Amino acid sequence: MTGAGSSASGTGAAEISAVGLGKAFGRREALHDVSFTVRRGGFLALFGPNGAGKTTTLRLVATLLRPSSGSVTVAGRDPRDDPAAVRRAIGFLSHNPLLYRDLTADENLRFYADMYGVAEPARRIDELLARVELGHRRHDVVATLSRGMVQRLAIARALLHRPAVLLLDEPHAGLDAHAVALLDGLLAEIRAEHTFVMATHDVRRGLELADQVLVLDAGRVALQRSGRLEPGDLADVSPEHAGLGTLA
Amino acid sequence: MVENAATVAAGPVSEQTVPAQATTTAILAAAGLLLAAALVVGFWVAPTDASTLGFSQKIFYFHAPIAETALLAYGVAFVAALLYLRRGEARYDRLGVAAVRLGLLFSLLVMVTGVIWGRAAWGVWWAWEPRLTTFLIACLLYGGYFVLRGAVEDESRRATYAALFAIIAFVDVPITFFATRFLPEGLHPVVLGPAGSGMDARDLVAFLAGMAGMTLLFVGLLRLELGIEALRDELRELKFRLGR
Amino acid sequence: MGFRQYRAMVRKDLLSELRTRETVVAMFLFVVLAMVVFHYAFTATGGGTLSFYTGGMLWVVFVFGALLGLNRSFAHEKDEGVLDGLLLCPVDRVTIFLAKMTGNLIFLGLIQVVAVPVFALFFAPHGMVAHLATLLVLIVLADLGIAALGTLLATIAMQTRARDLLLPIVFLPLVIPLVIAAASGTGALLSGGAGAPGVLGRLLFLLVYDGVFLVLAYGTYDVAIGE
Repeated sequence: MTGAGSSASGTGAAEISAVGLGKAFGRREALHDVSFTVRRGGFLALFGPNGAGKTTTLRLVATLLRPSSGSVTVAGRDPRDDPAAVRRAIGFLSHNPLLYRDLTADENLRFYADMYGVAEPARRIDELLARVELGHRRHDVVATLSRGMVQRLAIARALLHRPAVLLLDEPHAGLDAHAVALLDGLLAEIRAEHTFVMATHDVRRGLELADQVLVLDAGRVALQRSGRLEPGDLADVSPEHAGLGTLA
Repeated sequence: MVENAATVAAGPVSEQTVPAQATTTAILAAAGLLLAAALVVGFWVAPTDASTLGFSQKIFYFHAPIAETALLAYGVAFVAALLYLRRGEARYDRLGVAAVRLGLLFSLLVMVTGVIWGRAAWGVWWAWEPRLTTFLIACLLYGGYFVLRGAVEDESRRATYAALFAIIAFVDVPITFFATRFLPEGLHPVVLGPAGSGMDARDLVAFLAGMAGMTLLFVGLLRLELGIEALRDELRELKFRLGR
Repeated sequence: MGFRQYRAMVRKDLLSELRTRETVVAMFLFVVLAMVVFHYAFTATGGGTLSFYTGGMLWVVFVFGALLGLNRSFAHEKDEGVLDGLLLCPVDRVTIFLAKMTGNLIFLGLIQVVAVPVFALFFAPHGMVAHLATLLVLIVLADLGIAALGTLLATIAMQTRARDLLLPIVFLPLVIPLVIAAASGTGALLSGGAGAPGVLGRLLFLLVYDGVFLVLAYGTYDVAIGE
């Protein structure tokens, strides 16, 4: 599934739609009544202090968690009805690279290619390994790769099946400068082809990439804006930015 | 687990129902009467068993009802588990825990009465006969239920896994019983069941009184357990909120 | 697509195991050690040979050896946090179960291929070669039950705190019926041959046991493996 081209037009279909999303872990409520829409080709930046519910939100969209209340649809499908279709449309990148340490880069990608039903896997893997500049290490076991390389391989894994939606959970965390540059370059390249949701603490970078912002605090929506924003726009609301206390 | 500043879902503190005390008392009183009747009829009124079991056969009026009640308890846990997996309501989990706890209690009693009977009738403390063995395994199995619960931190996961286990365990009980029949006959072919050809009317009265009494006892105790669990949950809820 | 995924998962597990060789070697050593320990434990009392117990001992050793392997079956995923990777894939949860079960079955089978001859060597039970075909059927049926039940329980256990301790506690009571049927069946087979009374009954019982737990796993695996 390829996304639409330019993000200039605002009439793209809703690629991700969350309505009244809530999640409780036993007695602890991690998310309460969170709603947002990301149209095709859009880029939503997710901000908020630690424990605000950013990761929970991403995991809910990724179908790794089931909502306690509300619903989320991706590419028009509800994971409760058609989980496979939703999963095929999603690529997930987080601090955890989701790679098998005892297998080589190539074997890891082949595995995921099979799991996602990627056509012409060999060619696709070649293409991606070249893009993340890991072609020369393809037959090396993941345990022998540096953290930056592992994360680059994780990017390849996330893009392998050409997902329409990319969910990124603080993808820059713990990366060396080279990997960061590579990731940013890649994101810029594929910006137009996918729909993004990115959770990050890097407000400046987030705002550069995003055309939509959602700030969470204690599991609730603190701020929701569309369009390009400046860091100053968040001053009143974003605690970590302005150092203010609790929100209404 | 990281305790974050997330607010707790607003809602009434006590959405759980504590079973009505008066009804519970009535049920337990009825159970008491029936069991007393079973005792009196069984031990004094009914004739002594003609077979080699003799007087010791009378323990059957309690042993068999206890066994059947244990199985009933496990059955209730099974249904509660199915309901929990279907609907996700915490009260089904509470019902499951209470039922398994009582099932364990009754299973232990089966073994105690079985041991007493075995000693009285055949002079052996323990026999590896199908029914006793099945209950022994059931005890171990459902004991594992509590170990499983203890090993899961998250409440909804705990309830889910416990429900799965209650389903698996209940299906396993008849399987275990059939398997024990494969065992070669030991030195003492012991069968803890009604001996002789059929039961006298007075035997039947005692037996049925025992059955009804035990079942009511189970229901009464279950209600008490549910009440205690509900109050415990309420206490936990209050503590949690006050801690904020 | 389902088969491609199944094959990919089985291949991955086998490949991982081949690279590290942790599990299979440990299982094999354990099985042989257990046989030796049993021999000494039972003959040290001066009671002669173990021949009375050989049918049963084989199964005790397999069941406890299987536990070692089962504990490890999700170890890769859980230890490295890669389980999410699997759950993100558009794969039927039941396919995951079948793949894991196949992996466990293969490991168990590999152990047995070496352990059974060792067992024959140590204890020279009569009738083993003569009734090998039926014995193999019995072993396969029992293995299926151990793998099905074990994989289902390992899935639950691996997501709890006390995972290595919990699995034996929940697995052993549930596997007792299988042990009874397999052990008594092996004993009957070794002494009386395939036509011995009860052998067929036990084989059928194992078949039913396998069926029941496969159906249970099929019905509950979605819930067992994740939210």
